[in-house]
Amino acid sequence: MNAEAAPIEAASLEAAGSRPAASAPPRGGSLRGAGPRRSSDFLKAAGFVDVPTAEPGSMRPGALRGSAQGRDLDSLAHTLFLRIYPVIAVVVLVTQIGIAWVNYRDQLHLYTERADLMASLTAKAIAGPDWSASPQVYRRPMEALTLDPAFRAATLRDATGNVVMTLGEVRRGRSFEEITARADLAGAPGGAPVGRLTLSISAEALRGNAEKQAVLAVVTSLILMFAFVLTLHANVRRHVLGPLKRLLLAMREVEHKRWVPVELDGAFRASNEIDVISQAFNRMVDGLRSGDEAKHLLQQLEQAHRKLEDANHLVMESIGYARRIQSSVLPERSALDGSGLEVAVLWEPLHMVGGDYFWLEEIDGLGILLVADCTGHGVPGAFLTLIVATALDRLIHERGLRDPAAILEALDGMVRTRLRQDGRGAESDDGLDCGLCIWEPGASEIRFAGAGTALTAIDGAAVTRIRGSKRGLGYPQRPGERFVVEESRLRVTPGMTLYLMTDGITDQMGGAGPARRLLGHRGVTEILGNHQAAPLSEQVTILEAALADYRGGESRRDDMTLVAFRPRAT
Amino acid sequence: MDRIQLAATDRSPQVDFDFATGHLSLQGESYPEDAAAFFGPLLQALRTYLMQASGPPIVFEVGLAYFNSSSAKALMNLFMPLEDAAEQGRSVTVRWRFADGDETIEEAGEDFAADFSHARFEMVRAA
Repeated sequence: MNAEAAPIEAASLEAAGSRPAASAPPRGGSLRGAGPRRSSDFLKAAGFVDVPTAEPGSMRPGALRGSAQGRDLDSLAHTLFLRIYPVIAVVVLVTQIGIAWVNYRDQLHLYTERADLMASLTAKAIAGPDWSASPQVYRRPMEALTLDPAFRAATLRDATGNVVMTLGEVRRGRSFEEITARADLAGAPGGAPVGRLTLSISAEALRGNAEKQAVLAVVTSLILMFAFVLTLHANVRRHVLGPLKRLLLAMREVEHKRWVPVELDGAFRASNEIDVISQAFNRMVDGLRSGDEAKHLLQQLEQAHRKLEDANHLVMESIGYARRIQSSVLPERSALDGSGLEVAVLWEPLHMVGGDYFWLEEIDGLGILLVADCTGHGVPGAFLTLIVATALDRLIHERGLRDPAAILEALDGMVRTRLRQDGRGAESDDGLDCGLCIWEPGASEIRFAGAGTALTAIDGAAVTRIRGSKRGLGYPQRPGERFVVEESRLRVTPGMTLYLMTDGITDQMGGAGPARRLLGHRGVTEILGNHQAAPLSEQVTILEAALADYRGGESRRDDMTLVAFRPRAT
Repeated sequence: MDRIQLAATDRSPQVDFDFATGHLSLQGESYPEDAAAFFGPLLQALRTYLMQASGPPIVFEVGLAYFNSSSAKALMNLFMPLEDAAEQGRSVTVRWRFADGDETIEEAGEDFAADFSHARFEMVRAA
């Protein structure tokens, strides 16, 4: 498991390393003086920094953790505010100040015209020949000027420039707070002026107005700012931050392989773009979920397969061991070499071990040849062969039986006792077919007893088959029923070969279509009869190949055992 | 009684025990790993069926291309109650089908036939 995870980690590290943009020193985070941010910087500030750097398929646990906490989501509103507000504030301020300035200019213009008008009206009223000599002419118009609340000063001069009359306080030099107008006192038409009136009025009211407007502009900007901040914050929170937060939480769930989609219809509708992203995210989650499920199933399958493999390996190992044990129970193939018999054996269980068993022994100058086919094959069959082997050993060596029929009858009893088939509530419906030959070299005679297994003798073209009893040994029997078999004696002539075989040899399924049938005893003896001249070991090899040939694509059905023997040619 | 119908597998025969008509049949090959487990329920059903006092004539068709020795034993167990029923007067016919030239199956049929004395045992050779 660790070996699997390590390359992924390494790959993502490598991926991160191969992205210079990601590993470059970050731009200044300050909003002032850092210049406009690029969108990637914004994503970073909003806590998205981990997401785009993750390679597809290599998402490490914890890759989203920073972003999923949404640690900087609130700064989005700040960023928007600080980015947009100064512009708006400056625009509002400049506009207000511009308007105030234009107003001020207009007012100034009006004041100037007013001063000019007043000066020229007064001048006209005063103008006349020798006006300066009669104060009653100029005093009243001049004093009328003071009625204007903005009046500051007025100076009346005669043609030579001498001051005739002064009202108010005349200031020296130019002042922004005063507007000064001059009007000549006209004499005869086309003649030189006969005097000059200088009038100053106050512009203080104008300045006050302008100041008021400036204050108003600043206050407006501030109110605008607060309104903007509140509206922006509320809207960003509802339509951007909320949905983004839901998206990030869902991402965190997905990171932990909990396939939670984003709620698309929350209390507040997400903005269009986030909605689209959320939908895409949900589709991705669906894809990931099904991918993850498939992966999970595959893993389970692989696990099950591995377990089966292990179990099979264990069973095969165990059966291999069992085969060694079963083989060690079987006799040496050369056990009868001293009895004047040539013997060859084919012992081929269907599944490594089996229910077929054979015994070869030379005892008291007699040759004993036995072939047994226990019910079942594989391990169950092998169990029965051990019972048979033990029983046979006792019958031949302890009880000293040398009579084939007596041995089979005793074997039947022992097997049924061992399997509790003798009326003690039998569970087992098992038994065995068995053929037993006792070779008497002196008489060149075979004494045979069979229980379901025949003895076959081939002598040239003649095939003799001695079947013995139809019944097998063992199996539960009716009370009082006893296995009885007659012994057959066969005189062995030179050139005669004898075979004991289990039905696994003859029951070979083969042939195609309507010809599909068992090879049968006749088929087997035909093959053997065709190779009588060959040594028995060679006959066995030929037979095995011929059987495989006959089966073709069919599988074997049963364990196979054949013991072939004949007197050794001297 | 319910009809028993089992499809053939590569190790067990097709089974059709139609108790209503008295027609029973086994076709195919028979070498199940556990013959007792396969044939046990069939034997049980057959015994129950034969306990009924009367019924239609029973025809048991057996057409097996191969059977192992455990199946042979199981067949014998199926035949025994049939023979007993025939002895008590029930009409029982066993039709043993075998392919022409298949001496193994033919011989097995002959062996089984020897155990019957009351039921009819017909050897049916198929071309």
